[in-house]
Amino acid sequence: MTHPLVPLARALGQRSVRYVLIGVSGANLYGPSGQAVFTTEDLDLFMPPDPANLEQAWAACDEAQLELWLTDEPLERPRDRWLAEQSVRRHALTRATGPDDLLVDLTLVMKGFEFETVWAERRTFMIEGVSVPTARLLHIVTSKQAAGRQKDQLFLATHKDALEQLLKKQG
Amino acid sequence: MDPELERALRGLDEAVEFAKSYRFEMTEDYLALLARVEAMPQNQSGADKSGRWRGSRAYAASLAARATLLPRE
Repeated sequence: MTHPLVPLARALGQRSVRYVLIGVSGANLYGPSGQAVFTTEDLDLFMPPDPANLEQAWAACDEAQLELWLTDEPLERPRDRWLAEQSVRRHALTRATGPDDLLVDLTLVMKGFEFETVWAERRTFMIEGVSVPTARLLHIVTSKQAAGRQKDQLFLATHKDALEQLLKKQG
Repeated sequence: MDPELERALRGLDEAVEFAKSYRFEMTEDYLALLARVEAMPQNQSGADKSGRWRGSRAYAASLAARATLLPRE
């Protein structure tokens, strides 16, 4: 079975879209293989406040046959530069959905961080031959700590245990 | 109310209260732990993470296969 992000990551890469994978899915990539640190199918992609980049990201979602949503309404068409500018001005989150309950959030906000900082220190991991820019683990957990939500606190506590186990196994 | 159920519900209430007040601390030890994980060879740019996801899927599927919904008594 293909990783749900692969078709989208390929389309984003072909269009030179700048983004980094953040959130639990990003943190999970640093964890031990063969075991879920935290199971989630949701993917969070952090993007710069750049209308041209967002417009290309929407086009990539179209190519990957994902549906786009803006606050529970289908993202209107034409999905042009003007609409992208309005979205960037409002820091609006675009949600992409696809087969098998795939849910991808295209977010312009990462609590406590500017995009360029995260981009400059990203790791580029490979999934099924496709590049997936991923935020540093430090940036992901620092952002979760800054967000301060209960679910993030729970994630941080559990994730810490998983990392300790990983290091113990590595000796 | 069944005393066993009452005790379980009280435990859940206490867990909720604990979760509300719990605050994860970014200690020096924790930051050192993150640095060690980030420095691992498998966490450098170019690393293949295809297996990482397949493992998670298999793990989640195995949990789902073992979970059984029982009818309410």
